[in-house]
Formats: sequence, structure tokens, C-alpha cells
Amino acid sequence: MSRHKLVKTMNLDDELDDFDGADFDDGYDESEALTADDKARLENGVREVHSILGPSVNVSEKSIEDSLWHYYYDVDKTVNYLLQQQAPTVPVIPLEDNQASSRAQFKHSTSSLFCGMERCCDVPFSLQGFFADATWRHVPPERQGEILIEPLYPRGGLCGGSPGAGEAKISKLAALAAARKKKENEKHTCAESHESNASVAMLEKLDTRTPSAEASDLKGPANSGPDTQSVASQSRPTRHGLRYPSKRRDYSPAGSFGKGTPKEAPPHASESENPAKEATPRSNPTAAPSVFAKTMFGDAQDPILSVMPPIQSLALSFPRSSGAKAKSDPFAGPSPDDVVAKAQSSSKGVKAAKKAAQSAKDDKATNDITANIEAVAIDEGPKPRSKNLDVLAEFEKSRAKNAANFIVIGHVDAGKSTLMGRLLYDLKVVDQRTVDRYRKEAEKIGKSSFALAWVLDQGTEERKRGVTIDIAMNKFETSKTSFTILDAPGHRDFIPNMIAGASQADFAVLVIDAGTGNFESGLKGQTKEHALLVRSMGVQRIVIAVNKLDTVQWSKDRFDEIQQQVGAFLTAAGFQSRNVAFVPCSGLNGDNIVKRAEDARASWYTGPILIEQLEASEPTNRSLDKPLRLTIADVFRGGVQNPLSISGRLDSGCLQVGDRIVTMPAKETAVIRGIEVDLEPADWAVAGQNVVLHLTDIEQQYLKPGDVICLPSALIQNVTAMTVKILAFDHLTPMHVEVHRGRLQVAGRITQLVAVLDKVTGAMAGKKKPRLVQPGSVARVVVQLDSAVPLEAPGKVILRAGGQTVAAGLLE
Amino acid sequence: MADRRRINPPSGPTITPIFLASPSDPPTQPPHRTRPPHEIRKIFLKTGLTPSASGSAYLELEPSSSPKPTTCVDRSTSALKLTCTVHGPRPLPRSVPFSPHLLLTAHVKFAPFASKHRRGYVRDTSERDLSVHVETALRGLLISERWPKSGVDVVITILEAEDDGPAFTEGGSGGAGDGAGGLSGWGMMSVLSGCMTVASAAIADAGIDCSDLVSGGVAAVVRQPSFPHTQTGASKASPKEIVLDPCPSEHADILAVCVVGYLRSRDQITEIWTRGDMEGLPGEEGSEQSNFEVLLDQAVEAAVSSRLVLDAALKEATEYKLQKMAPALPSSGEKVKGSD
Repeated sequence: MSRHKLVKTMNLDDELDDFDGADFDDGYDESEALTADDKARLENGVREVHSILGPSVNVSEKSIEDSLWHYYYDVDKTVNYLLQQQAPTVPVIPLEDNQASSRAQFKHSTSSLFCGMERCCDVPFSLQGFFADATWRHVPPERQGEILIEPLYPRGGLCGGSPGAGEAKISKLAALAAARKKKENEKHTCAESHESNASVAMLEKLDTRTPSAEASDLKGPANSGPDTQSVASQSRPTRHGLRYPSKRRDYSPAGSFGKGTPKEAPPHASESENPAKEATPRSNPTAAPSVFAKTMFGDAQDPILSVMPPIQSLALSFPRSSGAKAKSDPFAGPSPDDVVAKAQSSSKGVKAAKKAAQSAKDDKATNDITANIEAVAIDEGPKPRSKNLDVLAEFEKSRAKNAANFIVIGHVDAGKSTLMGRLLYDLKVVDQRTVDRYRKEAEKIGKSSFALAWVLDQGTEERKRGVTIDIAMNKFETSKTSFTILDAPGHRDFIPNMIAGASQADFAVLVIDAGTGNFESGLKGQTKEHALLVRSMGVQRIVIAVNKLDTVQWSKDRFDEIQQQVGAFLTAAGFQSRNVAFVPCSGLNGDNIVKRAEDARASWYTGPILIEQLEASEPTNRSLDKPLRLTIADVFRGGVQNPLSISGRLDSGCLQVGDRIVTMPAKETAVIRGIEVDLEPADWAVAGQNVVLHLTDIEQQYLKPGDVICLPSALIQNVTAMTVKILAFDHLTPMHVEVHRGRLQVAGRITQLVAVLDKVTGAMAGKKKPRLVQPGSVARVVVQLDSAVPLEAPGKVILRAGGQTVAAGLLE
Repeated sequence: MADRRRINPPSGPTITPIFLASPSDPPTQPPHRTRPPHEIRKIFLKTGLTPSASGSAYLELEPSSSPKPTTCVDRSTSALKLTCTVHGPRPLPRSVPFSPHLLLTAHVKFAPFASKHRRGYVRDTSERDLSVHVETALRGLLISERWPKSGVDVVITILEAEDDGPAFTEGGSGGAGDGAGGLSGWGMMSVLSGCMTVASAAIADAGIDCSDLVSGGVAAVVRQPSFPHTQTGASKASPKEIVLDPCPSEHADILAVCVVGYLRSRDQITEIWTRGDMEGLPGEEGSEQSNFEVLLDQAVEAAVSSRLVLDAALKEATEYKLQKMAPALPSSGEKVKGSD
């Protein structure tokens, strides 16, 4: 019912008897004691076989018994097997003797298989041979793992049926075991018709295992039995799967040919172990040249040509050795890349060297690299090189004429530009044709009187409006002095431009309109302011040109009146009377400017005319020995050769071509490439000159009008707060102001009124911290600037607020 | 002014008619193989043919049949004649992008008169196909990283090509059938084998660094005619056989062909090309080798044989070079390239 019961009642012995394998567990004992029935059948069979075979066939009893046992007493099969066995025994014996030499004769047969087996047993295994085909350090992974080396088995016997002495019993057992198993398989696979043949083949296969079976038996009975076959197959390295990577071919020409499967070398045999096999030469299938080839190579059989092969004679006839050889070796020289890399590396070194050479100006000793780079043309053009001049000495040598800048100031429409135009015209700086043209054009727009003013007022806006807007600069020379005119705008809207011009001036020419009512309005207007400004900017000498006297019939009374009023004012503004000169003149007619007035009504004036007054101005002392200061008036492109140029007046110091300068407040360096003084190229410039500098090694963004150029050795400081001693023109409170210094304009505010000072002595007067500074008084104030600007004492600044000049001062 | 027009000859086969000496002559037999199946045709190989090239070689196969004059349309003189020139290694032109390796280019071109079917001047598909095969075979050979930014051109000109056998269309298993020339069939395989061998010799002659020498080998599965005089009608029952270096004109029925480029010293294959039906080969039953492997092994056998010729030719060339370099030096084969 239940399974437990079944197990309990089961007779174990019976069950085990049924089990086929049980017989083999103790089969060894059983073989010794065959049953009586078996013995009888065996004897019967032997007798039958003997009768069939007859006496001619020499077969031992034992082999017959073995065969009968194997074939289950089937006499027919036994006889068949024995007969077949008999035949090959004849050639086997000689084959063994000379198998090494005549191996080629073997076809695929059992005997040839045996041959391989025997051979491999004779030769000891060597690891070197095993890895012969593997490259160094690249042993295929499948071969790195386990190395199963087949033990050296003793020589295998012959086929199972042969009458080997003493071997029969063992082989019988092995045969029995294997055969039974085979038989079972055979039952399923083999067709009935092929039965006998298959059986024979089966036995043969069985025999190939014999050596291993023997070995197993020798070791001990435990290994014998039905497992022998599997043991034997395991003991042999199974290399079928790994065959390809390690396959070493046996190149014997005929050994494996024909049957399809090349003879597989035994697993542990390799070429190195078989020198005899290696030695067998393969026939070299080299052919003699055909007729066609002979035409090219000649006949190899020809004894003359064979000494020197014809191919060489052919080759030698070509000029291969000399010219073509060099061409044919394109790798002889350095590669193009190498050449480029070399050039690049050398040029890098040169750049560094170039900088060093610039900093050390006197360095005449140039090494090879700098010499090389100078030979190489660089697109920048020649580097500015300093001539190392002693500028002051040069200046002393060249000093032929005094130079003077003067600014022309005055109320709007006082005739400043016309006066200067007349001056230039009379001095032949401007030719007749130009003035005629201006005159014609001016008449066209109904402003004929402005013709001479147009000499200086070049801008279309200026000409249209009839007023000067920006500082106009022009230059003329007399026999004694060379002058630079700075024509300032008179209109109050352009006061900052006038301040910029005034900062460059050595002295001033104040033009006053003597016309009725015009003088008075001018005195209230810009005449006064301009005079105060130029005085504040440090101008000490002033020439007053009383203009348009022809409109008042050269009235001496009018002139005296003006002289008295203006003189009083100028004295109040701080001009010394000896530095003030009055000249009656007419700019439009040119009277008393370069030549005396021809009008009889003007004969009352015998004093110096304008040009004489200008020449009488003393040369200003130039601050040559002070550090270089140059306020940039303009930044522009000076032409194709000079992409970046600046203009301005040298306030102090000197410079020359090749100097390295610093622009403030940007703190960028530049190199002076060229200098123009008064539109002429020059090598140097000194204080007081208006110069144009052509710069290199700097970007335009670092240069603005109002910036200061200085030398790296004496930098001007950027300041954000300053104390100024001022002359107030208006009421001053702590307030927002615009600070002007030349072109420089910066917003700021008066943060502190420190003190009101005495005008003459400069000592403290009044309260310490006034709330208000009255107009005309001198005070000390602190000005905070919105941005840092280059300023230094003693610099003159103008403070303006709301379009009015509120104060002028001196940095402290 | 010279007429520069290129006048093409007729595109069809141009075979000179050969007349029978007398009508009583026995009809000639189609050529048949007289060599043993495992023997390859004899090879003539020489290097240094072209002086202007860096390396060059010439290879020809001897006509397999007896060179006795035949009286019929002559098919037996089919023999392979190849020249190979190697130009380089030379610097790459500027237009070519940077390459860290040696750039290999192989050009295979049939001479217009190479086969009985006339070839054009422009490379056709079969020639380009061969070029790719040769390039593949050689690429595994060169140690190309030793020549950065360089290129080498291998130009193979086929002066005389192998003709296809009459059975090509019948066999049909190849199925190439581009139909332009008769050579798109089995004959191409022998040509490729020769191309590989001759290119290897030329590269060695040029002195380009190689890891080994490649030699080509061909093996074919043919149906053995029961008796040579009957036509292929009875051949269905006849056994199949593997022959080395098949000459297509000699075999009525070629079933499969395998060509390999084999490096003997390294025991490596750089190129395999197999076509055809490999079923039912006479092999050892129970063998684990597939039919393909059997055929491949035989192709390798053929390659090994042709390698002997290659070695001998290079040895001869090297000895001569040594002689030329130092006449006092006794010529020894120590520096023979590739021979292991």
C-alpha cells in the first residue's frame, strides 16, 4: 500500500541480482569459476571452431575460447573473427621493425594507429615541445590550466585474438567488460545486416584500449572491471575541443593525404621530439622558368647565367644605385613634421630672447638665436630701437629758436579766430589762394567777415555756426621764435575745451572787442572768466589785443577806457602789471598785427604791435629735468604705419624713440615707435613741445584723452582724494563739482572746507571750518573724486559746477 | 598630330583557330590531371624583376599538362603568370589624414590579354574583389606600426590567368556568375593563391618588416571521373576526391574550392576563401572534423608546399644581395628572410 511497506518487504539480494552491474562487481572471481554449463558450451564451441578452421590455421585454444566467450558461443562469428584476425598478423611483424622509415606506406588502418602509439611511448615528454607553437608570454588560455600528461604506457599488445602468452587472460577480461557494454549499445545502433562486420570493428576498437587497460590492471585489481575503459579515456588528455590553437601540423607529404583526416599527432608529441620526421624533406615544387620568363630572367640552366643570375644583370643595367637610390629612400632625411617641430621650438626660444633683449637696451651681444630671428622677417616691422640719446644735450645743441605756445582767449565774437587768421595770413603761413577761397565761400553763405577765421576753424559745424568749438592749433615762426597758436573757443558752452588749451599755453592773448557795447558785455561774460582761468592755469603773461578799433574810428579814448578797466580787473585777478600789454589792432584789416596801421587815425599808437609783443614774451623755463609727464590731448590712428598715436604737450621731462612708457590710470606700458614734433619726425622731444607719439605694444582701450604718460621709473599716482588750495569764483559749499585738469575731466565733490586763507600770505584767516567760501577768497578744500585719476602736486585744477567755473586751484 | 584615341579590340574571346592536320587524327581528349592529387603544380618565382620599384616579384605556374603540341583548340596551356611590384613605404601625401600605421593598398589588375575573355582597362568587380582578398592576406603579415604616416602600394598584374574549366557552369555551386569573363569561377581561387605568394615575395624583396611570409594554397573537392574518357554523365556515382592546386581545365566537375593564405612559421591563416558544396567528402567516419576542416587542411598543405618555393626564391635573392654588399663575405643563408 504505502511505499514504506514496499521497501520494508523488498528482498535486497534479489533486487541486486537483477541489476546487471552486480555481476561485474565480483566478476573477477566468477571468471575463475565458470559454471559447469558454461564450460560445457565452451568446450563444445572450441571443438566446432577447430573443425571449421581446419589444421591449416594456427589458432590457439585460448583465443578461440576468448572469442567464443565474447560472441556468446556463436561459432560462426568466432570463426569469422579469427579468420580476419589471422590475415593481418603477417605484415605486422616487419612493419614494427622499420616503421620509422616506411611510415609513409601506412594507410589508415589499425596498424598505423598502433605505430603512432608506440612511437609516442618511446619518446619522453618535454614541456618545451608541448609549448613549441605558443609564442612567448602568449600561451592560449585554454592551455594554461591543467596539463595532463599521459603516462608512459608499456607497449601495447596485438589484437585481442592473438595468442599472446599470458596476456590472454587479462585481455579477455578487458574485452569482456568492454564488449558487454558495447554490445548493449550495438543492439540499438547496428543494423542486422552489418552485424558481423561491426562486431569485428568493435573488437578492433576495443584492442586500441588495451595498453591502458593493462596499465590499470597492473596497478591493482580495483581499477579493473567495467570501469577500465572510462578510466583509460580519462587518463588521456581530451584535446579534441582545443585542437586548433595548438595544432602543429605534420607536413609529411603523403602521411595524411587521401583519406581526408590528417593524422593527428599524439597529444604530447611535437615536432621537436621527432627529428626524424622533421628531417624528411618535402619535395620542392620549384619549376624551371617558362619561355616567357626566360626572356626576362634568362635560363637558369645556362651555366654562364647561373653564375650571376640574370635578374641581377638586368637590375644592374639600370641606374638603380646612384640617383634613383636616394630618391627611393624617402625616409633618409628628417621628416617634414620634424622640420616643423624643430622650427617651432627654436622660434619659441627666440621670442623669450627677444623680450630680454628689449629690456636690456644696451645689450649688443646677441646670441645665435636672436641673430636668427632678426634674419627672419616678422610682419610687425622693425622694432623701435632706442638711439640712447642724451636728450637734454641734444636739446641744448639744437636750440636755435625760442618756442612758445599761446592761447587766444576772449569773449565770443571778439574776433579771436579772425585775428589769428590775419596773423597767419600776413606771415604767409596761409597762402593767398586759400584765403581767397575761404573768402569766396564765406560770401556765399553771407559771412564774408568770417573768411579769415576759417583758417583756424576747420570744422563744418564751426564754420556753419561761426563760432570756434574746439581748440584749434596752428604754428608759425618768426625770425626769433616759433609759435604755436591755441585758438580757444569763446563760447561759454565750450569752456572745458578752453581749459584744456590753456593748460598747454605759456602765455595768453586776450582779445577784446572794442565795439560799442561789445566790450562791456564781454567783460561781464567770458573775457573775465577766461582771464581768471588762464591765470589759474598758471599763465602769467597776457597780451591784450583790443580788436575792432576800426569800428570806433581808432578812438584813443575808447582804447584808454578799455585799458583802464581791463587792467584793473587783471591786476585784481593776479596778473602783474608788467606782464600785461595792450595792443590796439584790427583783425579784419590787419592793422597793428604784423604791420603798422596805415590809417592816419591810428597814428597815435606808437607802441609795439602784436607780433612784437608776442616775440617779446620771455621764454618760459622748461622743466626738463623733472620726470616725464604728458597729458594726452588726443588718441587717433596716425596712418597705416602707425595704427595708434597720441598727441599732447610735454608738461615736463623728455622722451625719445624706443622709450617704454606707462599710461595712467590704466597702468599699461607701451613703446614709443616714433615721435613727431610740430608735424616733423624727430628722435626726441622735451618739455614744452607739442608732440605726436606713435606707440606700439598697447591696446587703444588703455589710452584716453586726459590720461597721463609717464616713465616706469617715475610713476604718477592715481588719487581719489586731494587737498586743493583754491581761488573761489563763486560761493562754495560742500557740493558736487567737476574737476578739470587739461583734458582730464572727472566728477567729484567737495567734502570738506578746511579753511579760508589769506590771499597774499596764504596764512589761515577767519574760521577754521567755514560753511561757505565767498567768491574771490582763497580757501583750502578737500575734494573726493569718483574715480582714481593721475594727479600730483603742484597740479592746477579747475572746479566747475553747473556750467560755471566756480574755482581754480592748486593741488597740495 | 598623333591620334590618341584608344581603340578597343573586340570584347569577345580571341582564339586563334588551329586546324587539324588531317581529319583522321583522333579527337583530342580534354586535359586531365596527370599529377598525383597531393602534388601542386611547379612554381617559378623570382624577385627583383622591376628595378624602379622598392620590391618586385614574378611568379608563374608551369602548365600542368604536357606541353606537347595539341591539334585542337588549346586549353591545356593555361598557366598563371603574375608580376607584383611594391612601392614604398613612402610618406603619405598631405591630403591623406594622419595614420599611425602603415597604410596598405593592394591593386590587382588583369592584363587585357590575361584570359581568353578579354578584359577592360578599368578594374571590374572581380579584380576589386581579389584586391580586397590580397589586402586582407597581407595586412596580417605586415608589422605596420613600425611605419607611421607611411603608405605602401602593392600592385599585382596578372599577365596570364587561369582559365575556368568547362564544368564551371555545370557545377554551379560557386554561383558567382557575374558573367563578364569566364574567370569569375574556380580559376579566381588559383589566381588569388598566386597573388598572395607573389605579393609576399615582393614585400620581402622591398624589405618591409613582416612577421612571416604568406603563401597561398588551394585545395578542391572534385568528382573523380570513373574513367577519364567518358563524359560527366556517369560521374554521379563516382567518388569525390580532394586534390591540391586544382587546374580548373583539368577537372570536369569541381564541387568546392578552398584557398588559404597561410603563415607557416606562425601556423596562422590570414585569408580563407571557400566556395562550393563540401558534402559527402571521403573522410574517416567518426572524425570530429567537418568537411570544411578537411578541405582547409588540404589547402594548408598546398600552401606549405608553395612556401618552399617562396623560401627558396628569397634565399636566392638574399644570397645575391649579400654577395653584392660584401663580395668578400661568404654567402650564407643566415639572413634568409622568413625561413624558420
